[in-house]
Amino acid sequence: MKQSLNYTRLSAWFFTAVALVALVGGLGLLILDSIPAFKHEGLGFVTGTRWFFRQEEFGAAPMIYGSCIVALIAIFLAAPIGISAAVFGVEFLPSKWRLALKVTIELLAGIPSVVYGLLGILLLRNWIYELFSPFEPLSGDTLLTAGILLGIMILPTVMTLADDALRSVPGKQRLAARGLGLNASETALYVSLPQALPGLLAAILLGIGRALGETIAIFLVVGRQDNQWPTSVLSMKPWLESGQTLTSKLGGSESNIAYGQPLHWGAITGLGLILLAAVIAITYTGLWLHQLALRKHEA
Amino acid sequence: MKRRAIHYCFRALTGLSALAACIVLLGIIGFIVSRGWSALSWSFFTEEITLVGASGGIFYNIMGTLILLLTATICCTPLAVGLAIVHSVYLDGHPLRKKLTMLLYLLNGVPSILFGIVGMVLFVQWFGWGKSWLSGGILLGLMMLPTVTITLIERISSIPSRYLEAARGLGLNQSQLIRSVIMPQSIGGLITGLLLGLARAAGETAPIMFTATIFAGATLPSGIKESPVLSLPYHIFILAQDSYDPIVKTRLWGAALVLVLIVFILSLAALPARLRIHEEADHA
Repeated sequence: MKQSLNYTRLSAWFFTAVALVALVGGLGLLILDSIPAFKHEGLGFVTGTRWFFRQEEFGAAPMIYGSCIVALIAIFLAAPIGISAAVFGVEFLPSKWRLALKVTIELLAGIPSVVYGLLGILLLRNWIYELFSPFEPLSGDTLLTAGILLGIMILPTVMTLADDALRSVPGKQRLAARGLGLNASETALYVSLPQALPGLLAAILLGIGRALGETIAIFLVVGRQDNQWPTSVLSMKPWLESGQTLTSKLGGSESNIAYGQPLHWGAITGLGLILLAAVIAITYTGLWLHQLALRKHEA
Repeated sequence: MKRRAIHYCFRALTGLSALAACIVLLGIIGFIVSRGWSALSWSFFTEEITLVGASGGIFYNIMGTLILLLTATICCTPLAVGLAIVHSVYLDGHPLRKKLTMLLYLLNGVPSILFGIVGMVLFVQWFGWGKSWLSGGILLGLMMLPTVTITLIERISSIPSRYLEAARGLGLNQSQLIRSVIMPQSIGGLITGLLLGLARAAGETAPIMFTATIFAGATLPSGIKESPVLSLPYHIFILAQDSYDPIVKTRLWGAALVLVLIVFILSLAALPARLRIHEEADHA
């Protein structure tokens, strides 16, 4: 059979190709531009603790540390509250109320990050400064401030995903548990939560992924202090000091002045590449768990 | 007795978490409204900013944001439709289909600042556009792409199979099927997806701050090269960093309130269709 020129097919594939080329091109550009920095610093780019671009020293470790701490604080706040709020919605609330709760939370997930940043700069940072005044922080712009703000920001994400995970546990299993004489809490604790575990882990991972990539809100409250390398990685003292995250560095004015000097720009795009690799790895694992959780209950 | 005590404790604990989440998030809205409300007036919407935000209104900021969103919609729509058709029809049963789905979800997680960095190299430097509304629109369009495509794919997969069977029974070939059944039946999914994507894009600052938007001194763009726009998120972003003047602060909250309202209107418009899809599979 002769295949005539098919415009529908052609245009669908054409636009798909455009989208894929744009994505691959963007990724390629990021990798290509960062080569000078990796050549100059080698593995030291990731492990080095000093960043002085005028001396051509580029070590990303303090920013990686900042990103990790901020994301960890955020998820330690958002995961317990988000997951237990989702448990309450799914296990205790009648369907209509659960829906109202979910809609409210999802709507609030849409508040732009710059607005959270504004709240952080005008409220949270003063509260933190006053609350922790016994520890004598230099200002309210700290890793802790950024972490708390980020925790509030990712709360809706974690809660929605946890709600999905819990709801994918078949109602029959709950009925069976109740039939065996378990009360609603025991059903939640011994049936729903263990069954939904992969989905809940996915919610946590995807929340961390979002937290790592968030820029604007953190930028406004983290202090953007370079070279803050803690004496001990486990020490909590740096939490009350200003810091720098990968994203706040990328969003700063240094990105504007770096272009034109291949090495400096390479270091900036290199930070972008580290960020991308981390976010992709975490998101990929999260998505894999999410799908695993959904498939488990389809059969 | 112990079992019942645990039950009550557990229920109270989870209930408190839900309440806390709602109070914090609703409190944020209440706070923005209470602080920003007094700044809203007719002239706030119709005048341009003067005196670094201390007087005038945010007319060109709103226009700039609308221009960016419109450009993003125009850029995103053909790509999303193409991807969704390829995903749902041409890759049906193909192993690449799962890969494409995964790619879309991963793209959804890519930090927005990276769009800004890549856009800065590509549009600002290589293309020599300087700051331009077009680069901002394209970047926001690409950011929205996964949301729009995934919503569209979900809608296409929910088209009843008897429609497709009937169309095939009438002798329609694959292209006719796409044009006369799949696309008209899924247009609602496209609109819902666009609304959701736009709700997110409207508040994004990171992709546009290096590529498309400035704080003051721009009106409506007349070309592509060196034609930045003002925008609401960037306006808030800049004023948030250095304003302790109470008058500026009130106007700042006013701008934040307008931005939040735009986002809410977009996501509320998408809500009915989303609820229908997501709640069909309710376990209860």
